[in-house]
Amino acid sequence: MSATPGQANPLRAFVEQVWGSIFRHGMPTTDKVAARTALTNFFLHIHPVRVKKSAIRVSYTLCLGGLSFFLFILLTITGLFLMFYYIPSVDQAYQNIKDLQFVAVFGDIIRNMHRWAAHGMVITVWLHMARVFYQGAYKPPREFNWVIGTLLLLTTLLLSFSGYLLPWDQLAIWAITVGTNMAKYAPIVGPYTRYLLLGSNQVAQGALIRFYVLHVIALPLIGFLLMVVHFWRVRKDGFTGGL
Amino acid sequence: MALNPYDTPRGRLQHRLEATRRQFLLLMGGLGALGATIFGSVEVLKFMFPGATNDAPAQFKTDITFTELTGGVDPATKKAMIGANVVAATQAGIAKRVNLVVDDAGIYAVYLVCTHLGCTPNYFPQGVTNGTTTPDGDAKSRGVRSGAEQATNGWECPCHGSRYFIDSTNFYGPAPRPMDWIDVQVAPDDHLVVDRGKLVVVRQPGDNSSPQWRLLLDSKKSNGKTLGV
Repeated sequence: MSATPGQANPLRAFVEQVWGSIFRHGMPTTDKVAARTALTNFFLHIHPVRVKKSAIRVSYTLCLGGLSFFLFILLTITGLFLMFYYIPSVDQAYQNIKDLQFVAVFGDIIRNMHRWAAHGMVITVWLHMARVFYQGAYKPPREFNWVIGTLLLLTTLLLSFSGYLLPWDQLAIWAITVGTNMAKYAPIVGPYTRYLLLGSNQVAQGALIRFYVLHVIALPLIGFLLMVVHFWRVRKDGFTGGL
Repeated sequence: MALNPYDTPRGRLQHRLEATRRQFLLLMGGLGALGATIFGSVEVLKFMFPGATNDAPAQFKTDITFTELTGGVDPATKKAMIGANVVAATQAGIAKRVNLVVDDAGIYAVYLVCTHLGCTPNYFPQGVTNGTTTPDGDAKSRGVRSGAEQATNGWECPCHGSRYFIDSTNFYGPAPRPMDWIDVQVAPDDHLVVDRGKLVVVRQPGDNSSPQWRLLLDSKKSNGKTLGV
Protein backbone atom coordinates (compact mmCIF):
# COMPACT_ATOMS: atom_id res chain seq x y z
CA MET A 1 0.00 0.00 0.00
CA SER A 2 2.97 2.28 0.41
CA ALA A 3 3.97 2.22 -3.25
CA THR A 4 3.14 5.37 -5.21
CA PRO A 5 2.82 5.52 -9.00
CA GLY A 6 6.10 5.77 -10.83
CA GLN A 7 8.09 4.55 -7.90
CA ALA A 8 9.42 1.23 -6.64
CA ASN A 9 6.87 -1.09 -8.30
CA PRO A 10 5.05 0.30 -11.35
CA LEU A 11 3.11 -2.92 -11.98
CA ARG A 12 1.68 -2.95 -8.50
CA ALA A 13 0.91 0.73 -8.77
CA PHE A 14 -0.97 0.06 -12.00
CA VAL A 15 -3.02 -2.75 -10.46
CA GLU A 16 -3.86 -0.58 -7.50
CA GLN A 17 -4.95 2.24 -9.74
CA VAL A 18 -7.26 -0.07 -11.70
CA TRP A 19 -8.65 -1.64 -8.53
CA GLY A 20 -9.11 1.77 -6.95
CA SER A 21 -10.93 3.08 -10.01
CA ILE A 22 -13.47 0.28 -9.72
CA PHE A 23 -13.81 -0.02 -5.95
CA ARG A 24 -13.93 3.39 -4.31
CA HIS A 25 -13.75 2.02 -0.81
CA GLY A 26 -11.53 -0.14 1.31
CA MET A 27 -12.57 -3.29 3.11
CA PRO A 28 -15.77 -2.52 5.04
CA THR A 29 -14.28 -3.05 8.48
CA THR A 30 -15.72 0.08 10.10
CA ASP A 31 -19.26 1.47 10.03
CA LYS A 32 -18.10 4.46 8.05
CA VAL A 33 -16.47 2.42 5.27
CA ALA A 34 -19.37 -0.02 5.24
CA ALA A 35 -21.76 2.86 4.64
CA ARG A 36 -19.55 4.18 1.86
CA THR A 37 -19.44 0.69 0.33
CA ALA A 38 -23.22 0.60 0.02
CA LEU A 39 -23.29 4.12 -1.37
CA THR A 40 -20.60 3.77 -4.02
CA ASN A 41 -21.12 0.24 -5.33
CA PHE A 42 -23.73 -0.20 -8.06
CA PHE A 43 -24.55 -3.77 -7.11
CA LEU A 44 -24.90 -2.92 -3.43
CA HIS A 45 -26.74 0.37 -3.77
CA ILE A 46 -30.05 -1.48 -3.72
CA HIS A 47 -29.37 -2.13 -0.05
CA PRO A 48 -30.07 0.48 2.59
CA VAL A 49 -26.96 1.99 4.13
CA ARG A 50 -28.14 0.94 7.57
CA VAL A 51 -30.37 -2.00 8.43
CA LYS A 52 -31.56 -3.14 11.82
CA LYS A 53 -30.45 -6.65 12.67
CA SER A 54 -34.01 -7.59 13.54
CA ALA A 55 -35.18 -6.53 10.08
CA ILE A 56 -33.13 -9.15 8.25
CA ARG A 57 -33.76 -12.02 10.59
CA VAL A 58 -34.83 -14.99 8.48
CA SER A 59 -37.95 -16.21 10.22
CA TYR A 60 -40.99 -18.32 9.42
CA THR A 61 -41.91 -15.99 6.55
CA LEU A 62 -38.95 -17.52 4.70
CA CYS A 63 -38.06 -14.43 2.63
CA LEU A 64 -40.54 -15.53 -0.02
CA GLY A 65 -40.09 -12.37 -2.09
CA GLY A 66 -36.36 -13.00 -2.12
CA LEU A 67 -36.96 -16.61 -3.14
CA SER A 68 -39.19 -15.43 -5.97
CA PHE A 69 -36.49 -13.06 -7.16
CA PHE A 70 -33.88 -15.80 -6.93
CA LEU A 71 -36.09 -18.06 -9.08
CA PHE A 72 -36.57 -15.20 -11.55
CA ILE A 73 -32.81 -14.88 -11.91
CA LEU A 74 -32.52 -18.65 -12.31
CA LEU A 75 -35.26 -18.63 -14.96
CA THR A 76 -33.58 -15.81 -16.84
CA ILE A 77 -30.25 -17.64 -16.99
CA THR A 78 -31.65 -21.08 -17.85
CA GLY A 79 -34.06 -19.48 -20.32
CA LEU A 80 -31.13 -17.83 -22.05
CA PHE A 81 -29.54 -21.25 -22.46
CA LEU A 82 -32.76 -22.71 -23.84
CA MET A 83 -32.94 -19.94 -26.43
CA PHE A 84 -29.71 -21.20 -28.03
CA TYR A 85 -31.53 -24.34 -29.15
CA TYR A 86 -35.15 -23.29 -29.45
CA ILE A 87 -36.65 -22.07 -32.73
CA PRO A 88 -40.25 -20.82 -32.45
CA SER A 89 -41.49 -22.61 -35.56
CA VAL A 90 -44.32 -25.13 -35.57
CA ASP A 91 -42.15 -27.45 -37.70
CA GLN A 92 -39.13 -27.31 -35.41
CA ALA A 93 -40.11 -26.32 -31.89
CA TYR A 94 -40.99 -29.79 -30.62
CA GLN A 95 -37.88 -31.37 -32.14
CA ASN A 96 -35.75 -28.58 -30.67
CA ILE A 97 -37.02 -29.45 -27.21
CA LYS A 98 -36.16 -33.11 -27.86
CA ASP A 99 -32.69 -32.05 -29.00
CA LEU A 100 -32.30 -30.02 -25.86
CA GLN A 101 -33.06 -33.04 -23.75
CA PHE A 102 -31.14 -35.71 -25.60
CA VAL A 103 -28.47 -34.00 -27.70
CA ALA A 104 -27.27 -30.97 -25.76
CA VAL A 105 -24.89 -31.63 -22.86
CA PHE A 106 -26.78 -31.03 -19.62
CA GLY A 107 -29.66 -29.73 -21.75
CA ASP A 108 -32.12 -31.93 -19.92
CA ILE A 109 -31.02 -30.46 -16.60
CA ILE A 110 -31.26 -26.91 -17.94
CA ARG A 111 -34.74 -27.54 -19.27
CA ASN A 112 -35.89 -29.14 -16.06
CA MET A 113 -34.38 -26.34 -13.98
CA HIS A 114 -36.38 -23.90 -16.08
CA ARG A 115 -39.53 -25.93 -15.73
CA TRP A 116 -39.33 -26.53 -12.00
CA ALA A 117 -38.19 -23.01 -11.24
CA ALA A 118 -41.20 -21.78 -13.20
CA HIS A 119 -43.58 -23.88 -11.13
CA GLY A 120 -41.70 -22.82 -7.99
CA MET A 121 -41.90 -19.15 -8.83
CA VAL A 122 -45.67 -19.28 -9.24
CA ILE A 123 -45.86 -20.96 -5.83
CA THR A 124 -43.48 -18.59 -4.04
CA VAL A 125 -45.13 -15.49 -5.51
CA TRP A 126 -48.54 -16.71 -4.36
CA LEU A 127 -47.21 -17.51 -0.90
CA HIS A 128 -45.42 -14.17 -0.75
CA MET A 129 -48.70 -12.42 -1.48
CA ALA A 130 -50.50 -14.53 1.11
CA ARG A 131 -47.85 -13.72 3.70
CA VAL A 132 -48.10 -9.98 3.02
CA PHE A 133 -51.87 -10.20 3.21
CA TYR A 134 -52.08 -12.16 6.43
CA GLN A 135 -49.51 -9.95 8.15
CA GLY A 136 -51.37 -6.85 7.01
CA ALA A 137 -48.18 -5.65 5.36
CA TYR A 138 -50.20 -4.06 2.53
CA LYS A 139 -51.44 -1.32 4.87
CA PRO A 140 -50.17 2.27 4.68
CA PRO A 141 -47.57 3.27 3.76
CA ARG A 142 -47.28 0.16 1.57
CA GLU A 143 -50.52 0.33 -0.46
CA PHE A 144 -48.70 1.32 -3.64
CA ASN A 145 -46.23 -1.52 -3.31
CA TRP A 146 -49.12 -3.94 -2.84
CA VAL A 147 -50.51 -2.79 -6.19
CA ILE A 148 -47.11 -3.26 -7.83
CA GLY A 149 -47.03 -6.70 -6.23
CA THR A 150 -50.35 -7.71 -7.73
CA LEU A 151 -49.08 -6.62 -11.15
CA LEU A 152 -45.98 -8.74 -10.56
CA LEU A 153 -48.20 -11.71 -9.71
CA LEU A 154 -50.10 -11.16 -12.95
CA THR A 155 -46.84 -10.94 -14.88
CA THR A 156 -45.67 -14.17 -13.28
CA LEU A 157 -48.87 -15.97 -14.24
CA LEU A 158 -48.72 -14.64 -17.81
CA LEU A 159 -45.09 -15.77 -18.07
CA SER A 160 -46.14 -19.21 -16.89
CA PHE A 161 -49.04 -19.31 -19.36
CA SER A 162 -47.01 -18.11 -22.36
CA GLY A 163 -44.17 -20.51 -21.60
CA TYR A 164 -46.64 -23.38 -21.58
CA LEU A 165 -47.19 -23.16 -25.34
CA LEU A 166 -43.55 -23.17 -26.40
CA PRO A 167 -42.79 -26.94 -26.33
CA TRP A 168 -45.56 -27.25 -28.95
CA ASP A 169 -46.75 -30.65 -27.77
CA GLN A 170 -50.37 -31.73 -27.50
CA LEU A 171 -50.62 -30.49 -23.93
CA ALA A 172 -49.37 -27.06 -24.96
CA ILE A 173 -51.63 -26.65 -27.98
CA TRP A 174 -54.81 -27.67 -26.22
CA ALA A 175 -53.99 -25.78 -23.05
CA ILE A 176 -53.63 -22.60 -25.07
CA THR A 177 -56.76 -23.46 -27.07
CA VAL A 178 -58.66 -23.75 -23.82
CA GLY A 179 -57.01 -20.71 -22.24
CA THR A 180 -57.64 -18.37 -25.15
CA ASN A 181 -61.20 -19.65 -25.49
CA MET A 182 -61.72 -18.69 -21.86
CA ALA A 183 -60.53 -15.20 -22.79
CA LYS A 184 -63.10 -15.25 -25.58
CA TYR A 185 -65.91 -15.52 -23.01
CA ALA A 186 -65.16 -11.99 -21.76
CA PRO A 187 -67.90 -9.57 -22.81
CA ILE A 188 -67.31 -7.43 -25.91
CA VAL A 189 -63.48 -7.55 -25.95
CA GLY A 190 -63.30 -11.35 -25.60
CA PRO A 191 -63.08 -12.37 -29.28
CA TYR A 192 -60.66 -9.50 -30.01
CA THR A 193 -58.44 -10.56 -27.13
CA ARG A 194 -58.27 -14.08 -28.49
CA TYR A 195 -57.44 -12.86 -31.99
CA LEU A 196 -54.84 -10.51 -30.57
CA LEU A 197 -53.20 -13.28 -28.55
CA LEU A 198 -53.20 -15.83 -31.36
CA GLY A 199 -52.68 -13.50 -34.32
CA SER A 200 -55.06 -15.91 -36.01
CA ASN A 201 -58.28 -17.78 -35.37
CA GLN A 202 -56.55 -20.95 -34.29
CA VAL A 203 -53.51 -21.98 -32.30
CA ALA A 204 -50.92 -22.05 -35.09
CA GLN A 205 -47.65 -20.39 -36.11
CA GLY A 206 -48.97 -16.92 -35.37
CA ALA A 207 -49.76 -17.89 -31.79
CA LEU A 208 -46.39 -19.58 -31.27
CA ILE A 209 -44.31 -16.56 -32.32
CA ARG A 210 -46.50 -14.17 -30.34
CA PHE A 211 -46.27 -16.23 -27.17
CA TYR A 212 -42.52 -16.59 -27.73
CA VAL A 213 -41.99 -12.83 -28.03
CA LEU A 214 -44.17 -12.23 -24.98
CA HIS A 215 -42.36 -14.94 -23.03
CA VAL A 216 -38.74 -14.05 -23.76
CA ILE A 217 -38.88 -10.26 -24.17
CA ALA A 218 -42.06 -8.38 -23.30
CA LEU A 219 -43.13 -9.99 -20.05
CA PRO A 220 -39.64 -10.39 -18.50
CA LEU A 221 -38.95 -6.73 -19.30
CA ILE A 222 -42.23 -5.62 -17.72
CA GLY A 223 -41.51 -7.87 -14.74
CA PHE A 224 -38.01 -6.45 -14.38
CA LEU A 225 -39.21 -2.85 -14.39
CA LEU A 226 -41.94 -3.64 -11.89
CA MET A 227 -39.40 -5.41 -9.68
CA VAL A 228 -37.11 -2.38 -9.74
CA VAL A 229 -39.98 -0.22 -8.46
CA HIS A 230 -41.04 -2.94 -6.02
CA PHE A 231 -37.62 -3.25 -4.40
CA TRP A 232 -37.10 0.48 -4.33
CA ARG A 233 -40.40 0.93 -2.53
CA VAL A 234 -39.55 -1.84 -0.08
CA ARG A 235 -36.48 0.19 0.87
CA LYS A 236 -38.34 3.48 1.11
CA ASP A 237 -41.25 2.07 3.10
CA GLY A 238 -38.98 0.32 5.58
CA PHE A 239 -39.00 -3.14 7.06
CA THR A 240 -41.38 -4.51 9.63
CA GLY A 241 -38.98 -7.04 11.03
CA GLY A 242 -37.96 -10.37 9.62
CA LEU A 243 -37.65 -11.22 5.95
CA MET B 1 -72.40 50.80 -18.77
CA ALA B 2 -69.09 49.67 -17.51
CA LEU B 3 -66.07 51.65 -18.50
CA ASN B 4 -63.91 48.58 -18.93
CA PRO B 5 -64.73 47.03 -22.31
CA TYR B 6 -63.67 43.62 -20.93
CA ASP B 7 -66.24 43.86 -18.15
CA THR B 8 -69.08 42.56 -20.29
CA PRO B 9 -70.01 38.93 -20.91
CA ARG B 10 -68.57 39.09 -24.41
CA GLY B 11 -65.53 40.98 -23.20
CA ARG B 12 -64.80 38.49 -20.42
CA LEU B 13 -65.02 35.63 -22.88
CA GLN B 14 -62.67 37.39 -25.26
CA HIS B 15 -60.27 38.08 -22.42
CA ARG B 16 -60.25 34.45 -21.52
CA LEU B 17 -59.49 33.46 -25.10
CA GLU B 18 -56.61 35.91 -25.39
CA ALA B 19 -53.22 34.32 -25.21
CA THR B 20 -49.67 35.30 -25.86
CA ARG B 21 -47.96 33.81 -28.89
CA ARG B 22 -45.98 31.47 -26.63
CA GLN B 23 -49.12 30.19 -24.97
CA PHE B 24 -50.75 29.69 -28.33
CA LEU B 25 -47.75 27.79 -29.74
CA LEU B 26 -47.53 25.70 -26.58
CA LEU B 27 -51.20 24.84 -26.87
CA MET B 28 -50.87 23.91 -30.53
CA GLY B 29 -47.73 21.88 -29.85
CA GLY B 30 -49.41 20.12 -26.96
CA LEU B 31 -52.49 19.31 -29.00
CA GLY B 32 -50.28 18.06 -31.84
CA ALA B 33 -48.32 15.81 -29.50
CA LEU B 34 -51.52 14.49 -27.95
CA GLY B 35 -53.00 13.81 -31.38
CA ALA B 36 -49.85 12.07 -32.55
CA THR B 37 -49.80 9.94 -29.38
CA ILE B 38 -53.43 8.89 -29.81
CA PHE B 39 -52.93 8.19 -33.51
CA GLY B 40 -49.76 6.22 -32.80
CA SER B 41 -51.41 4.19 -30.06
CA VAL B 42 -54.36 3.31 -32.25
CA GLU B 43 -52.09 2.32 -35.12
CA VAL B 44 -49.90 0.20 -32.86
CA LEU B 45 -52.99 -1.60 -31.64
CA LYS B 46 -54.13 -2.11 -35.24
CA PHE B 47 -50.66 -3.40 -36.11
CA MET B 48 -51.17 -6.20 -33.61
CA PHE B 49 -54.31 -7.37 -35.42
CA PRO B 50 -53.17 -9.03 -38.67
CA GLY B 51 -55.38 -8.21 -41.63
CA ALA B 52 -54.90 -11.67 -43.09
CA THR B 53 -53.93 -14.96 -41.51
CA ASN B 54 -52.17 -18.04 -42.79
CA ASP B 55 -54.91 -20.31 -41.54
CA ALA B 56 -55.68 -23.32 -43.70
CA PRO B 57 -58.57 -22.68 -46.12
CA ALA B 58 -61.96 -23.27 -44.55
CA GLN B 59 -63.06 -25.40 -47.49
CA PHE B 60 -61.17 -28.59 -48.29
CA LYS B 61 -61.62 -31.84 -50.16
CA THR B 62 -61.73 -34.86 -47.86
CA ASP B 63 -59.80 -38.05 -48.56
CA ILE B 64 -62.98 -40.10 -48.85
CA THR B 65 -65.32 -40.42 -51.82
CA PHE B 66 -69.09 -40.46 -51.83
CA THR B 67 -69.04 -44.09 -52.97
CA GLU B 68 -66.57 -45.17 -50.26
CA LEU B 69 -68.57 -43.47 -47.56
CA THR B 70 -71.98 -44.80 -48.56
CA GLY B 71 -70.96 -48.14 -50.07
CA GLY B 72 -73.22 -47.18 -52.94
CA VAL B 73 -76.85 -46.14 -52.81
CA ASP B 74 -79.57 -48.75 -52.93
CA PRO B 75 -81.71 -47.73 -55.92
CA ALA B 76 -84.86 -49.16 -54.37
CA THR B 77 -84.72 -47.70 -50.86
CA LYS B 78 -82.52 -44.68 -51.70
CA LYS B 79 -80.48 -45.53 -48.59
CA ALA B 80 -76.77 -46.08 -48.17
CA MET B 81 -75.75 -49.71 -48.66
CA ILE B 82 -73.27 -49.39 -45.78
CA GLY B 83 -76.01 -48.76 -43.22
CA ALA B 84 -77.02 -45.95 -40.95
CA ASN B 85 -74.99 -43.97 -38.42
CA VAL B 86 -71.68 -44.76 -40.06
CA VAL B 87 -69.04 -42.21 -39.28
CA ALA B 88 -66.08 -41.52 -41.52
CA ALA B 89 -63.39 -40.56 -39.05
CA THR B 90 -60.69 -40.29 -41.69
CA GLN B 91 -57.19 -39.21 -40.77
CA ALA B 92 -57.32 -35.96 -42.74
CA GLY B 93 -60.81 -35.40 -41.41
CA ILE B 94 -59.63 -35.57 -37.81
CA ALA B 95 -56.62 -33.34 -38.44
CA LYS B 96 -58.96 -30.77 -39.94
CA ARG B 97 -61.59 -31.40 -37.29
CA VAL B 98 -64.39 -32.77 -39.43
CA ASN B 99 -66.27 -36.06 -39.22
CA LEU B 100 -68.69 -37.18 -41.91
CA VAL B 101 -71.78 -39.11 -40.89
CA VAL B 102 -74.05 -41.10 -43.15
CA ASP B 103 -77.51 -42.11 -41.97
CA ASP B 104 -80.78 -43.14 -43.67
CA ALA B 105 -81.62 -39.58 -44.62
CA GLY B 106 -78.25 -38.67 -46.12
CA ILE B 107 -74.84 -37.29 -45.21
CA TYR B 108 -73.90 -34.53 -42.83
CA ALA B 109 -70.61 -33.18 -41.49
CA VAL B 110 -69.95 -32.28 -37.86
CA TYR B 111 -67.37 -29.59 -37.14
CA LEU B 112 -65.41 -31.05 -34.24
CA VAL B 113 -64.96 -27.95 -32.11
CA CYS B 114 -66.14 -28.60 -28.59
CA THR B 115 -68.58 -25.86 -27.63
CA HIS B 116 -67.05 -25.68 -24.18
CA LEU B 117 -63.52 -24.45 -24.80
CA GLY B 118 -62.69 -25.52 -28.34
CA CYS B 119 -60.82 -28.83 -28.14
CA THR B 120 -61.38 -31.61 -30.69
CA PRO B 121 -63.80 -34.30 -29.48
CA ASN B 122 -62.88 -37.86 -30.51
CA TYR B 123 -65.30 -40.21 -32.21
CA PHE B 124 -66.11 -43.42 -30.34
CA PRO B 125 -68.08 -46.13 -32.15
CA GLN B 126 -69.38 -47.35 -28.81
CA GLY B 127 -69.38 -46.63 -25.13
CA VAL B 128 -70.12 -42.93 -25.16
CA THR B 129 -72.19 -42.89 -22.03
CA ASN B 130 -72.22 -40.53 -19.13
CA GLY B 131 -70.71 -43.23 -16.96
CA THR B 132 -73.52 -43.29 -14.44
CA THR B 133 -76.68 -44.03 -16.38
CA THR B 134 -77.27 -45.75 -19.65
CA PRO B 135 -77.35 -43.45 -22.64
CA ASP B 136 -80.84 -44.73 -23.33
CA GLY B 137 -82.07 -43.61 -19.97
CA ASP B 138 -80.22 -40.36 -20.23
CA ALA B 139 -81.67 -39.66 -23.63
CA LYS B 140 -85.14 -40.58 -22.55
CA SER B 141 -84.88 -38.28 -19.57
CA ARG B 142 -84.60 -35.44 -22.05
CA GLY B 143 -87.75 -36.74 -23.68
CA VAL B 144 -86.95 -36.13 -27.32
CA ARG B 145 -84.74 -38.92 -28.53
CA SER B 146 -85.84 -41.45 -31.10
CA GLY B 147 -84.45 -44.96 -31.00
CA ALA B 148 -81.77 -44.43 -33.60
CA GLU B 149 -80.45 -41.36 -31.82
CA GLN B 150 -79.97 -43.20 -28.57
CA ALA B 151 -77.16 -45.16 -30.15
CA THR B 152 -74.10 -45.25 -27.98
CA ASN B 153 -71.76 -43.94 -30.66
CA GLY B 154 -70.80 -40.31 -30.57
CA TRP B 155 -68.04 -37.93 -29.55
CA GLU B 156 -66.20 -37.32 -26.35
CA CYS B 157 -63.94 -34.35 -25.73
CA PRO B 158 -60.53 -35.26 -24.23
CA CYS B 159 -60.13 -31.94 -22.44
CA HIS B 160 -63.02 -31.84 -19.99
CA GLY B 161 -65.11 -34.85 -20.93
CA SER B 162 -68.06 -33.29 -22.76
CA ARG B 163 -70.01 -35.94 -24.69
CA TYR B 164 -72.16 -35.69 -27.78
CA PHE B 165 -74.69 -37.91 -29.50
CA ILE B 166 -74.22 -38.86 -33.14
CA ASP B 167 -76.31 -35.82 -34.18
CA SER B 168 -73.80 -33.69 -32.21
CA THR B 169 -76.24 -32.91 -29.39
CA ASN B 170 -74.40 -32.55 -26.09
CA PHE B 171 -75.62 -34.75 -23.26
CA TYR B 172 -72.89 -34.79 -20.65
CA GLY B 173 -70.12 -32.58 -19.33
CA PRO B 174 -69.58 -28.84 -19.46
CA ALA B 175 -70.39 -28.24 -23.14
CA PRO B 176 -73.19 -25.67 -23.24
CA ARG B 177 -74.67 -26.53 -26.66
CA PRO B 178 -74.42 -28.98 -29.57
CA MET B 179 -71.53 -28.91 -32.03
CA ASP B 180 -72.16 -27.18 -35.35
CA TRP B 181 -72.73 -28.86 -38.70
CA ILE B 182 -71.00 -27.65 -41.84
CA ASP B 183 -71.72 -27.78 -45.55
CA VAL B 184 -70.89 -30.93 -47.55
CA GLN B 185 -70.84 -31.24 -51.32
CA VAL B 186 -69.80 -33.90 -53.79
CA ALA B 187 -66.94 -32.89 -56.09
CA PRO B 188 -66.94 -34.00 -59.78
CA ASP B 189 -64.31 -36.63 -58.88
CA ASP B 190 -66.72 -38.10 -56.29
CA HIS B 191 -64.73 -36.82 -53.28
CA LEU B 192 -66.67 -35.08 -50.59
CA VAL B 193 -65.89 -31.41 -50.09
CA VAL B 194 -66.60 -29.74 -46.75
CA ASP B 195 -66.58 -26.05 -45.94
CA ARG B 196 -65.80 -25.13 -42.35
CA GLY B 197 -66.64 -21.53 -43.14
CA LYS B 198 -70.22 -22.40 -44.01
CA LEU B 199 -72.23 -23.53 -41.01
CA VAL B 200 -75.55 -25.16 -41.86
CA VAL B 201 -76.75 -26.13 -38.38
CA VAL B 202 -76.07 -23.98 -35.33
CA ARG B 203 -78.04 -24.85 -32.23
CA GLN B 204 -78.21 -22.72 -29.10
CA PRO B 205 -78.01 -24.06 -25.52
CA GLY B 206 -80.97 -26.27 -24.71
CA ASP B 207 -81.88 -26.88 -28.35
CA ASN B 208 -82.05 -30.66 -28.57
CA SER B 209 -84.03 -30.81 -31.78
CA SER B 210 -82.79 -33.15 -34.46
CA PRO B 211 -81.43 -31.15 -37.41
CA GLN B 212 -82.92 -32.04 -40.78
CA TRP B 213 -80.10 -30.79 -42.97
CA ARG B 214 -78.66 -33.56 -45.19
CA LEU B 215 -76.70 -34.10 -48.37
CA LEU B 216 -79.27 -36.28 -50.13
CA LEU B 217 -77.99 -39.61 -51.36
CA ASP B 218 -79.97 -39.82 -54.59
CA SER B 219 -79.58 -36.28 -55.91
CA LYS B 220 -76.19 -35.59 -54.25
CA LYS B 221 -77.48 -32.12 -53.36
CA SER B 222 -78.28 -30.63 -49.98
CA ASN B 223 -81.92 -30.43 -48.95
CA GLY B 224 -81.31 -26.87 -47.75
CA LYS B 225 -82.92 -27.41 -44.35
CA THR B 226 -80.49 -25.25 -42.40
CA LEU B 227 -81.05 -24.47 -38.73
CA GLY B 228 -80.08 -21.40 -36.79
CA VAL B 229 -77.94 -19.76 -39.48
